[in-house]
Amino acid sequence: MRKFLAILVCKLGRFVGKLIGKGSSMPGKAALKICPDILSRVQLPPHVIAVTGSNGKTSTVEMIAAILRADGRTVVYNEEGSNQIEGVTTLILTHATMTGRVKADVLLIESDERYAAKSFKFFHPTEFVITNLYRDQLTRNGHPEWVYDAILPALHPDTKLLLNADDPLSSCFAQGRKAVKWFGLDKCAISTDAPTGAYHDGSYCPICHAPMEYDYVHYNHIGAYRCTRCGHRKMETDYTATSLDLEQGVLTLDGEATIQLAFRSIYNVYNILAAYALCRECGVSSDVICKVVNHYILKNGRMQTFTLGRRHGTLLTSKHENSIAYDTNLRYITSTKQDCAVLVIVDAVSRKYFTSETSWLWDIDFDLLNCDYVKKVVLSGQYCNDLAERFSYTALPADRWSVQPDIAAAAAELAEDGDEELYVVTCFSDRDKLLCHVQKEG
Amino acid sequence: MELKLIHFYPDLMSLYGSYANLLALRRCLEALGNTVTVQRVLPGEELDLDGADFLFMGAGTERAQKAALADFARYGEAVKFAANKDVSMLFAGTAMELLGQSIVDNTGKTWDGIGLMKFTSTQGKRRIVEDVLGHTDLFEEPVVGFVNKCSVITGVETPLLTSLTLGFGNEAPLGSEGCRFRNVLGSELTGPILVKNPRLLDSVVDAIYARHGEPVPADRPHDHWAEDGYRITAEELAKRVK
Repeated sequence: MRKFLAILVCKLGRFVGKLIGKGSSMPGKAALKICPDILSRVQLPPHVIAVTGSNGKTSTVEMIAAILRADGRTVVYNEEGSNQIEGVTTLILTHATMTGRVKADVLLIESDERYAAKSFKFFHPTEFVITNLYRDQLTRNGHPEWVYDAILPALHPDTKLLLNADDPLSSCFAQGRKAVKWFGLDKCAISTDAPTGAYHDGSYCPICHAPMEYDYVHYNHIGAYRCTRCGHRKMETDYTATSLDLEQGVLTLDGEATIQLAFRSIYNVYNILAAYALCRECGVSSDVICKVVNHYILKNGRMQTFTLGRRHGTLLTSKHENSIAYDTNLRYITSTKQDCAVLVIVDAVSRKYFTSETSWLWDIDFDLLNCDYVKKVVLSGQYCNDLAERFSYTALPADRWSVQPDIAAAAAELAEDGDEELYVVTCFSDRDKLLCHVQKEG
Repeated sequence: MELKLIHFYPDLMSLYGSYANLLALRRCLEALGNTVTVQRVLPGEELDLDGADFLFMGAGTERAQKAALADFARYGEAVKFAANKDVSMLFAGTAMELLGQSIVDNTGKTWDGIGLMKFTSTQGKRRIVEDVLGHTDLFEEPVVGFVNKCSVITGVETPLLTSLTLGFGNEAPLGSEGCRFRNVLGSELTGPILVKNPRLLDSVVDAIYARHGEPVPADRPHDHWAEDGYRITAEELAKRVK
């Protein structure tokens, strides 16, 4: 009876919530109050796929869903990104019959990394993709090893793991397990010999904390690592990006499938690779996958093009407090090899209140912008002084960057001055503060 | 003056932008006309602390902290000797815990600190993550920062922040925070603390000059970005107190 009531309340709550534009976690929360173990009482599809990690969850999940649907499967997934247990409960119950049978071939769950253990207390995924694990939102996550310890209890012994072989920390999830498949990127034109970035604890062995050696590095500390003390190393990959030309936007998977990248970012490559690995494991052919991800443009709105005065602009959404996401976007800007201006906005770090926590700015490698193509950098938002202090320690010439606290004024200044491409780097929480001053494309 | 700054384990102990503490101190000392060298010390490397004017170690994960401690323990007596000779030091984040008597990890295992001060750090499974606004006896202005730790620290006799108006201190909300012994400062506050608090940076510079028997030049460098950032942060955190 409680099960029936929980499902009913969740369905009704979701229906009403959609009408009034409310979020998707409340109905699940109500259902869990009525029947705390409701998730152990439902009948799940044959494939329950979970995706977690510091970066790439939403994009990877979106591509997996698109591929599986193209393969003729019915997929339900948390498109709105509610990725804690309440949102997962809403997702499952709203797609279940009143007897609790989920009407789909695949249940696909983007899972918050800190709360995965809670989400998977009453059921466990058949496949679990972990994209990577590094510094991200340290105000809620502590640090990557803290998150690792939080995810570990979520990994049921029967779950097959799909892991990023290039990431030293998330690779540790394979310890003591047999059902593991690996994806990774071979050495390619963008590879460097040594780790890059503003900090290097990620290139210390996550098992014994000795410094590791690298055959090559794709970004920051992600690449072909090996610890000479304990032997922790990049594993042989089952699914491999065998060549990558980011300048031309061409990715080759397993030596045969060629994909044109709509967005020439290393993140996009890893997200495609993770989706490819998972879908191959689920029996989808390489042809179907390639058809879907070829020129695939993500629908999650993380990239937005626009015009501002005579400038064409691109907004690159980076999560605040995620230095590697920032680094990746900064690297993307310089890789375009065209003259440009860059606007960095940090206006609200926390949605709830002002916080003094800006240490993550020191983790970002802003020196990446010290190249001839970047003609000017404007720093804006409430935290512009902290940003400026950080920039004062970069090698960028002082006449190449300036500060304009007011975002509207920064936009006006950039609209009147110059016609180079404009890149805006900011977070979800701040992006609309700029977008309201530009003409969006598409 | 020719000044030598020692940076212990710059890669291993590099959480929360810790390294910027040293950048800020170096830039300030150089702006005052000094010749500054920074010696990076990696685990296993030999080091003579003679002639050091400042020792620094930043925050690390709890596991990295134990790896750092395994190496740092051999410097324990030399660090204590230097501390008693008024050498300036900053141990930020989990590095502060190495200065105490012991660290109890979240499995209950006890690790010996170098014992410069008599406190004990007990690491738990709850993360303490919040803004801090507090008072130090070193100067009048409030200290701002952010704590991101899993430790409760008991037995600190001389804290760096003697009281808090916001946030969690060593062992309790609104308690005292950090530790202080002569010119040795320890704090779990991130920020980085010397960047976010220009007066604290000044006080470290003052201590280095005092130890050399030199007056600090009257014309101190003025870092207006840091000053403006501090002012906004202190004002905004004070609003949350109200």
